[in-house]
Amino acid sequence: MGTENPGRPGFPARPASLPFAAAPQTATPFSSTGPVAGSEPPSFRPTAMPPPPQASSLFSSSGPPVRPGVPGFRPAPPGTFNDPSVPPPQPPSANAPPAAGTFLRFPPPPFSSSGQVPPQQRAPFVGPPPIQQSGSQPPSFPSPPQPQTPFVQMGSPPQSISPAPMGSNVPPPTPTHQPPFPGYARMQQPPPAHSSFPPSQGNYGPPPPPVSSPFLPQPGGYAPSPAVAAPLGMQPPGSGPPIGGIQGLAEDFNSLTVQTRPGTMDPLFDSSELPRPLDGDVEPKNLDAMYPMNCHPRYLRLTTSAVPSSQSLASRWHLPLGAVVCPLAEPPEGEELSVVSFAPASVVRCRRCRTYVNPYMTFTEAGRKFRCNVCTLLNDVPSEYYAQLDATGKRVDLDQRPELTKGTVEFVAPAEYMVRPPMPPVYFFLIDVSISAVRSGMIQIVAETIKSCLDELPGFPRTQIGFATFDSTIHFYNMKSSLTQPQMLVVSDLDDVFVPLPDDLLVNLSESRSVVETFLDSLPSMFQDNANVESAFGPALKAVFMVMSQLGGKLLIFQNTLPSLGVGRLKLRGDDSRVYGTDKEHVLRLPEDPFYKQMAAEFSKFQISTNVYAFSDKYTDIASLGTLAKYTAGQVYYYPAFQSAIHGEKLRHELRRDLTRETAWEAVMRIRCAKGVRFTTYHGNFMLRSTDLLALPAVDCDKAFAMQLSLEETLLTTQTMYFQVALLYTASCGERRIRVHTMAVPVVTDLGEMYRLADTGAIVSLFSRLAIEKTLSQKLEDARTAVQLKIVKALKEYRNLYAVQHRLANRMIYPESLKFLMLYGLALCRSMALRGGFGDAPLDERCAAGHTMMVLPIKRLLKLLYPSLIRLDEYLLKVDLKSIERRLALTMENLDSRGLYIYDDGFRFILWFGKGVSPEIARNLLGADFAAELSKATLSEHDNEMSRGLMRVLEKFRNADRAYYQLCYLVRQGEQPREGFLLLTNLVEDQMGGNNGYSDWMLQISRQVQQ
Amino acid sequence: MGGKLFFWLVICFPSSIALLATTFYQVLILSDLEADYINPFDAASRINYFILPEYIGQGALCVLCLFTGHWFMFLLSLPVTCYHIMRYVKREHLIDVTEVFRGLNAERKFRLAKLVMYLILLIVVIFCRKFNILPQFQV
Repeated sequence: MGTENPGRPGFPARPASLPFAAAPQTATPFSSTGPVAGSEPPSFRPTAMPPPPQASSLFSSSGPPVRPGVPGFRPAPPGTFNDPSVPPPQPPSANAPPAAGTFLRFPPPPFSSSGQVPPQQRAPFVGPPPIQQSGSQPPSFPSPPQPQTPFVQMGSPPQSISPAPMGSNVPPPTPTHQPPFPGYARMQQPPPAHSSFPPSQGNYGPPPPPVSSPFLPQPGGYAPSPAVAAPLGMQPPGSGPPIGGIQGLAEDFNSLTVQTRPGTMDPLFDSSELPRPLDGDVEPKNLDAMYPMNCHPRYLRLTTSAVPSSQSLASRWHLPLGAVVCPLAEPPEGEELSVVSFAPASVVRCRRCRTYVNPYMTFTEAGRKFRCNVCTLLNDVPSEYYAQLDATGKRVDLDQRPELTKGTVEFVAPAEYMVRPPMPPVYFFLIDVSISAVRSGMIQIVAETIKSCLDELPGFPRTQIGFATFDSTIHFYNMKSSLTQPQMLVVSDLDDVFVPLPDDLLVNLSESRSVVETFLDSLPSMFQDNANVESAFGPALKAVFMVMSQLGGKLLIFQNTLPSLGVGRLKLRGDDSRVYGTDKEHVLRLPEDPFYKQMAAEFSKFQISTNVYAFSDKYTDIASLGTLAKYTAGQVYYYPAFQSAIHGEKLRHELRRDLTRETAWEAVMRIRCAKGVRFTTYHGNFMLRSTDLLALPAVDCDKAFAMQLSLEETLLTTQTMYFQVALLYTASCGERRIRVHTMAVPVVTDLGEMYRLADTGAIVSLFSRLAIEKTLSQKLEDARTAVQLKIVKALKEYRNLYAVQHRLANRMIYPESLKFLMLYGLALCRSMALRGGFGDAPLDERCAAGHTMMVLPIKRLLKLLYPSLIRLDEYLLKVDLKSIERRLALTMENLDSRGLYIYDDGFRFILWFGKGVSPEIARNLLGADFAAELSKATLSEHDNEMSRGLMRVLEKFRNADRAYYQLCYLVRQGEQPREGFLLLTNLVEDQMGGNNGYSDWMLQISRQVQQ
Repeated sequence: MGGKLFFWLVICFPSSIALLATTFYQVLILSDLEADYINPFDAASRINYFILPEYIGQGALCVLCLFTGHWFMFLLSLPVTCYHIMRYVKREHLIDVTEVFRGLNAERKFRLAKLVMYLILLIVVIFCRKFNILPQFQV
């Protein structure tokens, strides 16, 4: 059986398992995913009777039922309860009788057994000081909300991270187990075993919720891993043909036979069994149990939820070590952030390290002092914030203090956090009105959209608004409220730009509402006969800067031509295919004129954020224009060859989102962590104000920032590392706020643990940012190679951990947590920003994609890299209503020529009509001319059920993520070259041109790993 | 003889000191920047203000040494000149305020190295003079 794993004790990295000569086997199989908890209940029930020795082995064998069993897991709390205690020696008596009477008897043994366990277990782990705080201040804990949950969880953290896999189940019977959680630990400790696992049956009642909560996350995190459960040690996703020799393997990892037929390149494995992220992004849940008061992963995700304890360990982790922060991520409907005001006092922070008060701070000395969790300094509690501690050491006012119970809170910042009065929301529009802009119809749509959004601009009644247009001259508009008509002022001196009327160009929207509306109504007609082809973009930018520099705000640039006049004019470039592959290649992706960088720096200094909307069908040098957005926390929207009839809806929707989403103004962000660790590099759209302070003139829920950390001290002595992201900003309502996200993660000494707690999403996000930055200084090819190399190194290191013991020659092994990394790496190399060379993506689109990927939050990025492909016809014909929820692997093989498929990457929909799709569907969806060219066709609702059904589906997909509007492109099978560039190049698993397919990619990687 | 003294007194010595001083000043500002005593905008503009004069001065000194036959000093300052030319040609000579923190450590290391070079140059200048002057006065 998989359990008897001779090699185990010898595991280099798992010293803890040694002591468990007999017991360990039980849990080992599950260890890699930590599903142990979840997996046991089912096994427990069926196997209740068997004698002890088997009991342990049975666990592993019953692995498979596990997942199915998970749901049933909660209903059977007794089982869950026991199982923590099960692994150790005494299972028989404990397990055998599930009858009520036995329950009474039952608990004691486990405890005693667990009593033995901890010492061994803790050994590697807890070390000396864990409890230091817990002893001193039990108080700070919020008892009401999490009566027992925290406890159980508390206990488990050390274990689940502990090298010994077994540990994850053992409830923490002794106080020593609760290191990280001072408060909690103590509270529940004193009567350790008994209170939390009361012997009486009655007590089983309440526990279920607590129990399930700590464990649930595991099944959750576990669910996507079909692998672990396999009884034979063969992981279904990858295992292909089972190989006998491996059956004895403990399931610490997934493995995959990746071989070719000797002498050929034909893969010997079934590519359909390779792992695929068909469930999309799964947020890591494995810390929920351990640190229930952490902020939600949507705000902050670490590439691995385990900080290495030493530099040497960190250097063996070849993947990026860092975090991805999305400070203003949208909470789901109905979930509100708590806003805390300390007025009239100041915000409570640690005196030394300036950490904001958070749930992990502990209160002592009857509530007069608190200990900072980050730097362990003992601070005085300000008198206004004083509260007594109750008998268990918690503050009595804990219920009314969300900042002490929640990982994410907002503080109202007092005047000392302001350098000037909070600015009003300012929107300034700089619109290109040259002939191409007029022709594309962009002006019309922009004017309409802005007008329709006037009521929804945040910050009424303080909102300020202003407009300027430009072709070869710059036009300003005086919109003073006393006027009835806006007054146009033309500046034609481009060498020495000046602002004609400094005060009335930026006006208060509520006061000048009618003038603004008049202006927007007349804007499209004002320029409809304009034949000017020039673009004085640079001078216009300078002039606008002069207008805005007083207040700062948001500048939206609508650009339709290459800047051709005055400072900042740009040349056509990127036409020369010979540059690709040489050392000069990257220059194409850099701003051509230093003017743009200078302007960006100035903008950032004066709190101006720039969003660039580019529309041209010709080269507009997004590389240069995008620089403006890059350093000012802005965003680039690119609509190649914009035509209002086709792309109008997309522009309308995205501009609307841009104008109406909640925005944080004049913000700065910093991420703090304890001594010994330091954030070194930052990646995303922002400018660094000092070594670790990100200046974000305007930031919103659609922007994420990545950062990498490094260890400064060779050895970390703490058990837990705390990270705190603080975003200081002006809310649209004019209040200065601080949004604080706090996260605690364990410090580990074992590389395997780091791999186990790795978060593929965050890693891929950092990877892509690093790769895109690399394309700015090196060739595309180099950037792609670097991605591959990093993956190979990481897997090689992982292999070294395990392969020797298990004689895994010719098999590729990878941790459960990283099973999608290879595929995402491939998808990244084939993404618009990195793919191919000159001919594979137009330069502008490549740069725009790069700029977009630099700001995307993890979820959206993963969707972009591995889009969903869904079959629609069965749903529309009501044959199979479930088919719409089934994502397919991105390969040609999945496209049935009789089917209708939708490809959704979060930015656009592509509807693919197979050749053999029934004419009925085509007619219903496309109308009478269904046989015509699809390139000109647009999708509109027709009067039949099927068409309405399709529209509902599209609407549903769009509502899933509203940050971008997905325009629907239609393509028919075999319609080249349209089908090629729309869909086929994006099927990342297929071999295409010079690109690897998924199975080749896996072969390559596996070969390099084994070298 | 008079020319040599002039060369030493008016050109070599003061310019070495000036080079040393500007580089030291730049290092100082970079350190301040890292410690957050100065914002990147001010730091960049202050440093950039001195960069071109420094390059020109250093280049001129190097060329002068060549033409006046001070081979040793010429060879000593040649590497720095080459480095300057390389930076200038690559358009990397000025501090880029948007990316200043990314290259902060490298920038400072290069400047420290330069500082050492200039210091050696200064010492050589002083000693050169000493050894040259004494015999000259005896003649």
